[in-house]
Amino acid sequence: MNKEMYDLTAWTVKTAKSAGADECRAGVGSERFVNISYRDHKPENIKEATTKQLGLEVFVNGRYSVQTTSDLRRDALKDFISNAIATTKLLAEDPYRILPDPKYYEGRAKVDLGVLDPAYNKLTPEDRHSMVKALEDSALAAGGNKVISVTAMEYDSYDELLLMSSNGFEGYRESTYFQAGAQMTIQDEGDRRPTGFDYAATAIKKNMPSPEQIGTGAAKRTLSLLGGKKLKTETLPIIIENWNVSRIVGGFLAAMNGSSIQQKRSFLADKKGQKIASKHFTIIDDPFVKGGLGSRLFDMDGFALKKRVMVDAGVLKEFFVDWYYSRKLGWEPTTGGPSNLIIPQGKRSLKEIMKDLGRGIFITGFIGGNSNSTTGDASIGITGQLFENGELVQAVAEMNIADNHLKFWNRLVEVANDPFPYSSYRMPSLVFEDVVVSGL
Amino acid sequence: MKNISRRSFLKTAASAATVSIAAPVVLPRSWVALAGAEKPGYFEREFGITDSLCQKVLAEALSKGGDFADLYFEHTISNSLSLEDGKVNRAYSDVSLGVGIRTVKDDQVGYGFTQEMTVESMLNAASTAATIASAKATKPAGKFEWLKTKNYYPLQKLLTSVPLESKLPLVQTANDKCFALSSQVVKVNAGFYDQQKRILVVTSDGIKAEDLQPRNYLYASVTAEKDGRRERAGWNIGGRRDFSFYTQATVDEIAKMAVDRTLVLFEAVQAPAGEMPVVLGPGVTAVLLHEAIGHGMEADFNRKKLSTYSTMIGRQVAEPFVTIIDDGTMPNYLGSINVDDEGTPGQKTVLVDKGILTSYMYDKISARHYKVKSSGNGRRESYQHYVQPRMRNTIMLAGPATPKDVIQNVTKGIYVQDVSNGQVKIGEGDFAFYVSQGKMIENGKITAPIKDMNIMGNGPKMLQNITMLASDFEMNQGGSGACGKGGQAVPCGFGQPTCLVKSMTVGGVKR
Repeated sequence: MNKEMYDLTAWTVKTAKSAGADECRAGVGSERFVNISYRDHKPENIKEATTKQLGLEVFVNGRYSVQTTSDLRRDALKDFISNAIATTKLLAEDPYRILPDPKYYEGRAKVDLGVLDPAYNKLTPEDRHSMVKALEDSALAAGGNKVISVTAMEYDSYDELLLMSSNGFEGYRESTYFQAGAQMTIQDEGDRRPTGFDYAATAIKKNMPSPEQIGTGAAKRTLSLLGGKKLKTETLPIIIENWNVSRIVGGFLAAMNGSSIQQKRSFLADKKGQKIASKHFTIIDDPFVKGGLGSRLFDMDGFALKKRVMVDAGVLKEFFVDWYYSRKLGWEPTTGGPSNLIIPQGKRSLKEIMKDLGRGIFITGFIGGNSNSTTGDASIGITGQLFENGELVQAVAEMNIADNHLKFWNRLVEVANDPFPYSSYRMPSLVFEDVVVSGL
Repeated sequence: MKNISRRSFLKTAASAATVSIAAPVVLPRSWVALAGAEKPGYFEREFGITDSLCQKVLAEALSKGGDFADLYFEHTISNSLSLEDGKVNRAYSDVSLGVGIRTVKDDQVGYGFTQEMTVESMLNAASTAATIASAKATKPAGKFEWLKTKNYYPLQKLLTSVPLESKLPLVQTANDKCFALSSQVVKVNAGFYDQQKRILVVTSDGIKAEDLQPRNYLYASVTAEKDGRRERAGWNIGGRRDFSFYTQATVDEIAKMAVDRTLVLFEAVQAPAGEMPVVLGPGVTAVLLHEAIGHGMEADFNRKKLSTYSTMIGRQVAEPFVTIIDDGTMPNYLGSINVDDEGTPGQKTVLVDKGILTSYMYDKISARHYKVKSSGNGRRESYQHYVQPRMRNTIMLAGPATPKDVIQNVTKGIYVQDVSNGQVKIGEGDFAFYVSQGKMIENGKITAPIKDMNIMGNGPKMLQNITMLASDFEMNQGGSGACGKGGQAVPCGFGQPTCLVKSMTVGGVKR
């Protein structure tokens, strides 16, 4: 950790205390990033910068506020802190708003998360440009004469966070991030120009697939959209492709956090310990996945994190409850939000499953949609492929699925063996039966 | 709009290092000035940004050549107050300060930014931007002239200088009013948000422009219980408003809308699934016009031939009674701008004139590509972002019918009052929207309320399928929404009259 960052954070905590805060928590985050994109064989955008931000939470006379700033000049910060405290005093009291009991800081795991690439600083501008060029070339080659446009990009960053509280918490983490992707637009019939993309993201560069794999993947995904049409409304089995599963799970998770429950906005509030899904539905929150994009040892409350089974074979086991809402609910806290979310993989490949199902829709993209955390009702647009006899036969567009989460997860009949590695949601493709897919 | 750069945004947004949002900041006296009375030169007074400094930084940005370069200074203060469980017990504030430096060569952009207002940091960022070019240095203009602009959002007083004691009662009363309206209300979240964004744009062709862009809204969100069921809805009102805009009447309207919109959901049924006529109510449903139609008319998507509209200029794209305008000059709406983020004055652009596609929305890069003038649509989220063509206030003008005529024309369909969570695929034109408030239409009459469904369609097809427009034009009065594109959120306004689309897919349940 650099000393300047440590000194700034410690100074902020000290200054806030001496300016009248009973307690406080300060965090300084910093990111150094480079972002390059190519189109038509030349750089389209080159962007590079370092950002820093300081966040300060103050607790004064049972009152609370949060402030953030990018103006880190000490003089400006002094005004910032004293103004923050003056403002806080004008708010209503909130007896639940105190710093966490330090017992929750204890027992931080001593594991190497594998999220810092020691070779990050060796990455040169030439490396970045040649990688993006290769990515663009392979996408263009694989896209053939249908291609209208390809944009290839890379984004890499080095991130740091230091969090400190006036009751003894100190936590620091640093990580690296690499992302590469290509977006392609192709000519379809008439005026239609389908756009598709592929990407990968990892904490360690050597875990990235080759640019050629990503470029070819983007072309393959985009070409699969050719001739997309709306089909007749029908009840069918569906398979949600691995990288899209997070979107559907997201709607479910919105009802799992402490604030939704305490604010009566959760369809899961009274379901703890109950069976709310089929036996195939298990979700694990694992903060210690080696190289995981959500891996971390502590959360923003400073809690030492643990691996938790949130849903076990269809039974709801835990909620995401941070310190503040745990006090409001009178519950034991867990953690405020997920780290890496894992649905354990099944045994069979997509191909085998499709063959077995015969006819259904393979969903490769979502569009629009919503999920109501209060009622569990959800509706979302889909794109993908109709499969028959296990073979993809027709691209599908402008169709929709709608259901209630409490019914939908009971329709889950199988989990494939293909967990998506490039996200903190490490989830495989999921198979549901008897889903109304609406169209014509 | 989903694309790859958005994912870097998602990543950044999800990273714990980025704590964004929000707190009332009491400002040094020098900042607490009446906006109208202010002389230009805020950044020079507060941060020592002089013409000669700008010239030096621009020269560095053009040190390897390039067609032009610009500097975008920003100082933004955002405050929010929120109420939960009956008390205004949390405040958030954020100060954002920085400068973005852009070098442009043809359609290529080099971009660097810094949060430190020192010459050294700015020169570093400028040399990053310069790497996009690789030729002989070009020279910036020798002097800078202030751009003359109008003020579409005059303020009597800066929102940041309104004392907290004046803002607190708005939020508290909104809460109390919601509870007073119905015994079924069990939870209320309410809040007031205000943002004061100051910008200075300095261009290598000798223009400098300063603006103070206020943005604010008051909201209430309600959870109600009835017979063991719960429902939730909310409402907000705002824009680029003076604080005097927020009166008891505003609070009453927000509370009534939030409560009514929640309680009606207890009566709501799910709509049938399938193709049917859809009537869009006036005002807020114009978000669909923005998403499904407007985005495809942004010039970058056309210049790159990604949009279905890229071959349609001069073509009939709608019935002759349809006119669509993107207007930055409407007083106090979210998308109004005195000047865009690359120094072009706020203006009005006719996109579809009596059914004919007449113009895209241009930033400087696209305008050069098409050999036209920028339409003043060059916008960005902050100094950390480069300019893209973006909408301002996008509106469809009123038509000849009455709202009643429009509804009477539908035998079986749905009436949409509010939509949210929309997304459009630019190349295909396909879109999906979530209907948060709506009704069935049966035999020319509005019947049961409906909820929780998507409507899906295709932008160009929808535009062709608009068969009736009523005379009841309304602007969306909300202040909280922002439009996302390429990982950047910017505030936009929209409005339209009651409108009949003869066919769309409704994603309800099979009946």
